[in-house]
Amino acid sequence: MTPQLTAKAGLPPTQTGEDTTKNPAATLARNRNRWSRRKRQDFFVFLALALPNLLLIAVFTYVPLFNNLYYSTLNWTLGSASATVVGLENYVTFFTSADAARVLGTTAVFTAATVGGSMALGLLVALALNSKVRGTTFARSAVFAPYVLSGVGVGLVWLFIFDPGYGVLAWILRGLGQQSPQWINDPDLSLVMVIIVYVWKNLGYCAVVFLAGLQSLPQDVMEAASLDGASSFRRFVSMSLPLLSPTTFFLLITTMLSSLQAFDLIRIMTPLGSGTSTLIYEAYLQAFGAYNRAGYSAAISVVLFVILLVITVLQLRFVERKVHYS
Amino acid sequence: MSFTLDRRFFLTLAGAGAGAAALSACGGPSTTPGAGVTTAADIDFSAVKPAASIDFWSNHPGKSQDVEKSIIEKFHAKYPDIKVNLVTAGANYEEIAQKFQTAQAAKSGLPSLVVLSDVWWFRYYLNESIIPLDSLVKQLDVKLDDFRTSLVDDYKYDGKQWALPYGRSTPLFYYNKDHFAAAGLPDRAPATWQEFAGWAPKLKAASGAQYAFMHPALAGYAGWTLQNNLWGEGGGWSKEWDITCDSAESVAALQAAQDSVYKDAWAGVSSKESADDFAAGLASATLSSTGSLIGILKSAKFNVGVGFLPGGSKVTSGVCPTGGAGLGIPSGVTKEEQLAAAMFLQFMTEPENTAAFSAATGYMPTRTSADMTAVLAKTPQIKIAMDQLVVTKVQDNARAFLPGADQEMAKAAAKILTQEGDVKATMTELKATLEGIYTKDVKPKLKS
Repeated sequence: MTPQLTAKAGLPPTQTGEDTTKNPAATLARNRNRWSRRKRQDFFVFLALALPNLLLIAVFTYVPLFNNLYYSTLNWTLGSASATVVGLENYVTFFTSADAARVLGTTAVFTAATVGGSMALGLLVALALNSKVRGTTFARSAVFAPYVLSGVGVGLVWLFIFDPGYGVLAWILRGLGQQSPQWINDPDLSLVMVIIVYVWKNLGYCAVVFLAGLQSLPQDVMEAASLDGASSFRRFVSMSLPLLSPTTFFLLITTMLSSLQAFDLIRIMTPLGSGTSTLIYEAYLQAFGAYNRAGYSAAISVVLFVILLVITVLQLRFVERKVHYS
Repeated sequence: MSFTLDRRFFLTLAGAGAGAAALSACGGPSTTPGAGVTTAADIDFSAVKPAASIDFWSNHPGKSQDVEKSIIEKFHAKYPDIKVNLVTAGANYEEIAQKFQTAQAAKSGLPSLVVLSDVWWFRYYLNESIIPLDSLVKQLDVKLDDFRTSLVDDYKYDGKQWALPYGRSTPLFYYNKDHFAAAGLPDRAPATWQEFAGWAPKLKAASGAQYAFMHPALAGYAGWTLQNNLWGEGGGWSKEWDITCDSAESVAALQAAQDSVYKDAWAGVSSKESADDFAAGLASATLSSTGSLIGILKSAKFNVGVGFLPGGSKVTSGVCPTGGAGLGIPSGVTKEEQLAAAMFLQFMTEPENTAAFSAATGYMPTRTSADMTAVLAKTPQIKIAMDQLVVTKVQDNARAFLPGADQEMAKAAAKILTQEGDVKATMTELKATLEGIYTKDVKPKLKS
């Protein structure tokens, strides 16, 4: 039988089973008050839990972010009490100067090399550590240790290794009758040097995450493939790698964001940024490294922010589609 | 009133927060139409009492922390009502400048007295970050005429005195006397770079060192010491505000430097600090600051000789730049702090204290009346540095006054000395960069 619809039809029956057709308006008001009270309580709980975090994020992330956007429209010398509004001139200057190609090129090379190097070597190390041989626990700790070391300390130690005058590497090369390359003075080699150290420091992170991924692979599937006669290389390429894609995707995002924001090693090993001036380091150099162009530096920071945002969105939209979650 | 905790509500809340943040962005510098530096009026300190405590920011040039502490102790004994807090504000001139500029931007945490290098003080003047010292000099009766003229005049601009000399230096030519003797060379610095080029093969063959000469580290102050090479060939980074680094003379000078590394292969380029390389025996000679003298003498295990900087084929004398640091008083602190800072500044630069500072570091005694007898008896090499002062030359504007020029010069030098880049092309590119800095960052702020 079709229910009789009233003017207040469509309202859900109350949970108490009360007959809503007797006084629908009063029931509605009662329900609304009850819902409002509950929602108000929920809202206060929400505020109590979320507000401190929202405030922290606002103060330490959004305020600097919007301050930076504002500063990027100024011709402002750091340290000066006054500045001139120049609109988008800083952006125009950056993109029409040789700086843009140089800095964006260095950023691209550094990011591609460090992300690719850390992930490829990390995966190889993870495969080695995944084998059941003696000493793997120690090896895992040893591989992960550089990741937790201070970038400043790591930079100083590696500077001693690379020093062309009395570094360890120069000493070894001299023993072989060779001159040390000018790692520190030659801008091209400086970039190679920083990439090597960055990969060394960060591959442990990739290795540990890949190792966790490898150990969570379904063993029954791998054993079935093995019984079917698939070689270990075939199993790795056709089964392990696709099944590792969520791990690979996670590492791709985190290492890329981390590489684009790499600062400490570059600052310690190549303070002038000759050959190693990535976007973030160029922003630092322009404001604090002697030029004191705070507005121009802010504009470069905004460019970096937009690049990070676009990369993350692209990865989430397109790369994630290739990921097998099961 | 009802709330729905959905995505839209959350975004609204975030938007409100962002709006508030955007409003807060209206802080920062005041936005006024571009204007030059305003004429600083003399500050009247006559009715001001000195502050009870001041911060002195130093990077301890020439490893001077101990001597700075001892001078502060003497100051405390003389002026018990003023406490000076020595703050390590950086490891070098750039780091201390970075900290100072950041404090200026934050408008808090400023020191009352700050070490400012030869390439930074002018920027502080342009930003109106430091005060003119003239009224304080007058009130405290600071004997300006007793300072070495070339050193004190470096900080004069627009008819006012903006700082006083402190850890002032020049480059010196350091050589390994043992290596020179082994090569049968005279026990002196070469008169010209051409003369040294003739000595270098013998030195390299006889000494066993990797290089006959080590060029100073480029990341340090290549723009400073390369002025010696440029001036010797009649070139320079600039003449007044005209950039001349691409002139035929300048290119010839830098070509000779490149040849010393590549074509003739008797010179190397230091990667960190040429004074350390020299003291470690890596090279038979180098150029380094007088501020490195005491450190080299302490660490070198051979006889160290020092001499004037060599001249070039065109100019043989007056080819040594001055450099180092002075002391300035920030404009953003109270008058009481400024007065106390000036009293300490006066004390720091008194003859006996400048002599003590010089003895501990190798930097120049800034006062002519400083009694250097005991110092010179112990470290006679300082006399060479003092004698060289009379043949020094004021630095090129491009190096001393253009923000970031030192970095650009170092990058250009790296291209020439470590990548064998084309000298003329590199200098043409550098000229365009330096002119851009001048036009954008300096010229609008200069008084016409």
